[in-house]
Amino acid sequence: MKFDVIIIGGGWAGRSVADRLALAGMKVCIVSEGLSLAVAGNNAPYSHLAALQQRGVTVLRGDRAIKGIITGSKATGVITRNLGKDTVLKADVFVLATGKFFSRGLLSDMNHIWEPVFGADVSYDADRTKWADSEFFAHQPFMDFGVLTDEAGHVLAGGNSVVNLYAAGEILSAGSKEFDIDSFIEEYEHRIG
Amino acid sequence: MQKEYDVIIIGGGITGAATLRDCALRGLSSLLIERGDICDGASGRNHGLLHSGARYAVTDREGAEECIRENRILRRIASNCVEPTEGLFISLPEDGLDYQANFIQKCREAGIDAQAIDPAEALRMEPAINPRIIGAVKVPDAAVDPFRLVDANILDARRHGADILKFTAVTGLVKENGRVIGVRTSKGDVFRAREVVLAAGIWTAGLAREAGVNISMMPSKGSLIIFGHRVAGHVINRCRKPANADILVPGDVVSVLGTTSDKVPIETCDDMHATPQEVELLLREGEQLVPSLAHTRIIRAYAGVRPLVVADPAGDGRNVSRGIVLLDHETRDGVPGLITITGGKLTTARLMAEMATDLVCEKIGSKARCETAARHLPGSEGRKPRFIDPFNIRAAIGRHGEEVARMDFDNGGEIVCECEHVTRAEIAYAVKEFGVRNVSDLRRHTRIGMGTCQGSFCIKKVAEVLAGELGVDPEGLVHDYLQERWKGITPVLWGDTLREAEYMQKVNRNEI
Repeated sequence: MKFDVIIIGGGWAGRSVADRLALAGMKVCIVSEGLSLAVAGNNAPYSHLAALQQRGVTVLRGDRAIKGIITGSKATGVITRNLGKDTVLKADVFVLATGKFFSRGLLSDMNHIWEPVFGADVSYDADRTKWADSEFFAHQPFMDFGVLTDEAGHVLAGGNSVVNLYAAGEILSAGSKEFDIDSFIEEYEHRIG
Repeated sequence: MQKEYDVIIIGGGITGAATLRDCALRGLSSLLIERGDICDGASGRNHGLLHSGARYAVTDREGAEECIRENRILRRIASNCVEPTEGLFISLPEDGLDYQANFIQKCREAGIDAQAIDPAEALRMEPAINPRIIGAVKVPDAAVDPFRLVDANILDARRHGADILKFTAVTGLVKENGRVIGVRTSKGDVFRAREVVLAAGIWTAGLAREAGVNISMMPSKGSLIIFGHRVAGHVINRCRKPANADILVPGDVVSVLGTTSDKVPIETCDDMHATPQEVELLLREGEQLVPSLAHTRIIRAYAGVRPLVVADPAGDGRNVSRGIVLLDHETRDGVPGLITITGGKLTTARLMAEMATDLVCEKIGSKARCETAARHLPGSEGRKPRFIDPFNIRAAIGRHGEEVARMDFDNGGEIVCECEHVTRAEIAYAVKEFGVRNVSDLRRHTRIGMGTCQGSFCIKKVAEVLAGELGVDPEGLVHDYLQERWKGITPVLWGDTLREAEYMQKVNRNEI
């Protein structure tokens, strides 16, 4: 299976990207585990996914990206839990929108924080005692942690830009660059004339 | 003219509460004064372990004998507060079996039933314990809910005529001709008594100084971690010389691992919290008992202070007793009217109370005998409550036993806290019986917010209900509670705990 764009994560960030790209005519796939903060107490996210599906988006419901493949400076495929390791979903562009800790976009142990799908670079304080502020309602440092991008919004892995991998929403670290949907669509429309 | 009490007890932990009960049962007119809520000091910040005495059998024969006697008494009179989990002392290869042989011998000498069992049998009973064990000993340890135990003592005392004054600090002891004749409170009142008993844990030394009495105390901080599940059914101990993090207690629906033991400055005792370094130490050691603790979800970490008394103030602090300390300040310091009861353990608090009350009676010329070992505590009367036992009140029966008869489930049967199944009726009961002011107080008397979600889901609902009972602003209740919970969450903020912390943050900042 080959798509223009695969979006990993069905929360508000991933769905917004899918929505815009599908409207622009791209062949889009979204992997949605259905465990999003936005899901609590209402079914709006599910209606949204149904609408996306009617618009031609391939929605992998209740599925989870377990491994992203990077070859050289490009992301080349994604393997999901439900489709299994023999099915590699391919695309020209990938957007990581898996959120922070609650949605397991970021995992952590006592001393490390990592991004589990592509192994993207994550910014966090090496000193665990600085992850939280002791005042509950103060700004919490851990909410600034997330994946790093270059100036153009390419996600970094091993210190290098992955030129077709972007990030959207809460998985981004504070100061990193959100996937620029407008310019991406503009570029796409220019390319297909 | 103020009423004169026979006895005023300062401190609303287990020692003060048990002493109040003993005094009340002996017919003394009694008042307990507590600066905060009941059970808000060390009594609410420990393992919740009902010692069999085995832990002390080798090092402190007297302490071990006290423990096993009180263990048997509490199983009977406080059956609703005690869960007879029994305990295992396991030996790892590095501990050797020499200690175990001596341990069993010493336990038996102290009257503690200690049975060596085959390591394979121990692993069958408790599959979670370290498979490297080379020996195991079964002893009559148990889990005790300290909040329930203190509450039950308070209720019994009050139902026998005792007065309780909470959220009131004692600012000074009133003396007349060298004799302590009463206390002055933060609210400007003076209460007179024939005897004043200090039972304020580590805060006792400061109060005694008010009366010109020097008690040299050494605050010993103990940090503990709560895990989100019971990983073992027995209390799991290490069969070696007592050390850090070598006890894991199954309490209610969680497991409690502890403790550390560090001397701390007395001025830090009002704001105790576990540090990240202590958490690392606890986990490293705890994994030797039960390896799966390495990836068991942690709910929070907390710390309490043992009120140890330095027997020889001129010494270097090594000569410290962990036993019961009863001080008659009339004979010791020439200050009549003042008694101190401190040291000891949660397990031996009833005995401490008996000793203190015996001395009070001797001073005021009462011949009344102690009855606390024979009479059941409220909630543990041993008569099964007559309920059809619907699902929503099963948890309340477990917590309060016969006390559920005082809860109006017909008009408040709906569940407010889902994790612990606390109903509106139980909240109303706690407000009435214990005079709670905020959600943290309510937690101590009902377990509200102590469950798996730590109040993330229910805090707003709880605050609304409680605010309705108290006639206060719910927002303030939410704020105070979250800040208090956050203190115990930040030292263990990684893995699943970090996941949930993000959720807790977002729900309560209205970001979802």
